[in-house]
Amino acid sequence: MDFRTLLLDEFVFLDGGMGTMLHLAPGELPERLNLTEPERVAAVHKAYADAGSRIVYSNTFGANPLKLAGTGVDAAESIKAAVQIAKRAVSGSACVALDIGPTGQLLPPAGQMTFEAAYESFRIMCEAGAEAGADLVVIETMSDLLETKAAVLAAKEHTDLPVLVTMTFTENGRTFTGCPISAAAMTLEGLGAAAIGINCSLGPREILPMMQEMAKWTKLPLIAKPNAGLPDPVTGEYYLTPEDFADFMPQFADCGVQLFGGCCGTTPAFIAAVRRKLDSLRRGRRAAQRPAAVCSGTRTVLLDMPRVIGERINPTGKKRMKQALLDGDMDYLRGEAITQTEAGADILDVNVGTPGIDEAAVLPRAVQAIMEVTDLPLQLDSSDPAALEAALRIYPGKPIVNSVNGKEESLKTVLPLVKHYGAAIVGLTLDENGIPQSAAERFLIGKRILDRAVKLGIPKEDVFLDCLTLTASTGESGPSETLTAVRRVHEELGLQTVLGVSNISFGLPNRPLINRSFLSMAMTNGLTLPIMNPMAEGMMDTVRAYRMLAGFDKNCESFIAAYQDAGTPAAAAPAKSNENLTLEGAVIHGLRQDAARLTQAALEMHAPLAIVNDMLIPALDVVGADYESGKVFLPQLIQAATAAQSAFGVIKQHMVSQEGGDHADKGKIIVATVQGDVHDIGKNIVRLLLENYGYDVIDLGKDVPPQKIVDTAISNQVKLVGLSALMTTTVGAMEETIKLLHQQYPECRTVVGGAVLTGDYAEQIGADCYAKDAKATVDYAKTVFGE
Amino acid sequence: MTPADLSRDEILMFLNTPEPGGHLSEMLDECTAALCKAAQPRTIYRVLPVQHTETGVTLGGLPLQGDDIALHLTGCKEAVLLAATLSAPVDALIRRAEVTDMTKAVMLDAVAGAAVEHVCNQLETEIRAKYPYPYYTARFSAGYGDFPITQQGDLVKLLDASRKIGLTVTPAQTLLPLKSVTAVMGMSHEPVKDARRFCCGNSCAECPYHEDCPRARL
Repeated sequence: MDFRTLLLDEFVFLDGGMGTMLHLAPGELPERLNLTEPERVAAVHKAYADAGSRIVYSNTFGANPLKLAGTGVDAAESIKAAVQIAKRAVSGSACVALDIGPTGQLLPPAGQMTFEAAYESFRIMCEAGAEAGADLVVIETMSDLLETKAAVLAAKEHTDLPVLVTMTFTENGRTFTGCPISAAAMTLEGLGAAAIGINCSLGPREILPMMQEMAKWTKLPLIAKPNAGLPDPVTGEYYLTPEDFADFMPQFADCGVQLFGGCCGTTPAFIAAVRRKLDSLRRGRRAAQRPAAVCSGTRTVLLDMPRVIGERINPTGKKRMKQALLDGDMDYLRGEAITQTEAGADILDVNVGTPGIDEAAVLPRAVQAIMEVTDLPLQLDSSDPAALEAALRIYPGKPIVNSVNGKEESLKTVLPLVKHYGAAIVGLTLDENGIPQSAAERFLIGKRILDRAVKLGIPKEDVFLDCLTLTASTGESGPSETLTAVRRVHEELGLQTVLGVSNISFGLPNRPLINRSFLSMAMTNGLTLPIMNPMAEGMMDTVRAYRMLAGFDKNCESFIAAYQDAGTPAAAAPAKSNENLTLEGAVIHGLRQDAARLTQAALEMHAPLAIVNDMLIPALDVVGADYESGKVFLPQLIQAATAAQSAFGVIKQHMVSQEGGDHADKGKIIVATVQGDVHDIGKNIVRLLLENYGYDVIDLGKDVPPQKIVDTAISNQVKLVGLSALMTTTVGAMEETIKLLHQQYPECRTVVGGAVLTGDYAEQIGADCYAKDAKATVDYAKTVFGE
Repeated sequence: MTPADLSRDEILMFLNTPEPGGHLSEMLDECTAALCKAAQPRTIYRVLPVQHTETGVTLGGLPLQGDDIALHLTGCKEAVLLAATLSAPVDALIRRAEVTDMTKAVMLDAVAGAAVEHVCNQLETEIRAKYPYPYYTARFSAGYGDFPITQQGDLVKLLDASRKIGLTVTPAQTLLPLKSVTAVMGMSHEPVKDARRFCCGNSCAECPYHEDCPRARL
């Protein structure tokens, strides 16, 4: 029997709860039973097969090497035993699915487990299951979409078995990590799951509306495996009877569900009852078309009206961004991501291509950093297939890949990646002969790209075409050819269209006017995905006005919401800007905008270093002294530091635009939260203050391996390393880091801090200094750098 | 959860400041509102049998390490094991603020501390109303006294908390989402004289017991 044959049936019955049936004693590990009491496990499978289950799940839900670590049970061994137990128990009357549950840890952005570690653990499970003869792989009770993706990829890349995936949602229609049903459905279908659905957490009553929602987002066979109702809060018992449970199932069938089973609290009696109930029924019809959309792990963006792709995360022509990439300064990228999100972008383009950068290493890091601060879907923008693949692997959701073009080499390398990872793709209408002048030729290349993509199995609605904006100054027919091509792609092929809008005005005066006007014209001609700067004057206004006028904005609600306060003064900055305010005063009073403005003015008369030494630092010293004497408190201190930071931002911008200008940096310092530790707010405060004092801070982030800190210190000839740890369990990693530094780079000083440290303990682990707070770290830095 | 549910004094305690006044007070109001909006509090608890053995104490069959937890449950036949989390969106909110405005990040962090306390207090009230015990010991968490933080994972497993409320533990025993708590509360018909009380688990630097806290200092 195989899964595809089973799918020919109107309904396919799965099994019910395993834990429920095993009647585990406290502390008993179900996966151990595969090795110690196989007959106890076999009896459960047999009972389900007798009740009519055609697919039984092996007793391997928690048989993940990461979960079994320290239990003395070997994952692969337990899995092989479990699959064989199930096969023998059902003896051909049912398929055996290798059951895979979550690792119990979270991946980024919510957690710290790496994608690779999760993938590796699932690979071990999949290989063991396939070797033992499992007929399919089932990944269930998943909450984290990226972890689910790791499991699906491990199954697809290491077995030939069909992969079924069910995730678990809470009452609000999202998983614990915030993944909506739509994002789960489109991502899993894109990754090549054979069927998807919902299991656990809730009973059939609560899951039914979610199932109806999921049915809209996928064409795949649907799976429902609810709990036996909600558990009693006191006893933990589930309250639905098999008949009550089965009574809900015709409604599930109505919305198109084909695979039925149960989760916590369900037994063979439930499966038998469901079978009886559905006996003479048929599945409801499914929608023929899925909505066009892309998503992150926590947000779905419907492509039902013009959506803005923010273009700011791209070093082309941006010195400050280039510098940030070369410095590994991910906070700069995060900042750009947040500003664009707040300005109204729907999707963010991410491009890190600049000389001196290893894109395949940096693009996934940038993607991860950006996903920490925005939930917008991303457009992965690179011409390097290795970089695209690295980013595609660790992206939670369905991204856009920018781009493929009509050249054979590009089609051959990029499209298979897009298919494998279930992304959407932007096709550029150019080929070996360059960019054609005429709309007709561009349309033909676009059509060719579409045909190739569809032939590979990429859904048509996931192919977007970029008919290329040529600079208006290079020929008067350029813009109209582009617009004609956009219109034809939109109308004749029915595809999403992409254009980099601001190229149009290159080399001309009053660029904002040209950009806005062209954007309007392009949207009128069917442009649906403008790539643009959402902060540029008038651009978002134009998009909002277009959406309203073209009938996409019901009751003009979005437009009114965006502009109803436009007449009133903007939410006032806390400060009264007064004429007599000095830069020192702005910093002392924590006035960010004023500090930036006054720094700009000061740069016309003073060298950057003089501003730092004679204005910023004395001001910070005043605040620092007031803090130490208890005159001001943490909020005021940080506020002043933030104002100084905005002053530094201006100085940095000034320096990158004047290469060879004098350098305000007083020396390099590394800060890091040690391996295993994920609390980094304290470390971030320290970094902020150190930067304020003119130090060049290399922030390695949190959970940083000891050797990485040492290597970075050596390669940058850093004189001082600051380490933070908040847990008694991670102070060991701090000690280890200091030890390695002593061995490999003894001239480097160390300063440590964090809630669980004391001066004595710092000394005991070999640190040169214990800093009780950020100010103390600065004081120590001053002594190290001999000021 | 609404801002009115949270204790301003507690927020200020976490922030280690008196009421700052002016725009900083307004900013703190905004942060309080934003945090309440983002939080999706989830809780879970189990009432489990306690057994005192020669070597210490077990809870639902799980041996708990250290003298303090054993003393804390002196004479108790049952205890509540509870977990509470504000859920992932709160971590995301604070992460964003750490990039855009550190002052807000520090404020949000303090408000989150008070919010977790509030969620636990509410749950405790609910539990006290449900069970016929006149006395409950204070909420005692792994990491207090000599009850080692390394048992965090066992406690989460015992509650099946990752499946039930999305609460996970890293290999270094940090709860994720970060703004989460697990705790043990003894249930008794008599006052528990030996019950431990110190440590809110949050703000060591400000703690009055800071100097002689047996939890820290390894």
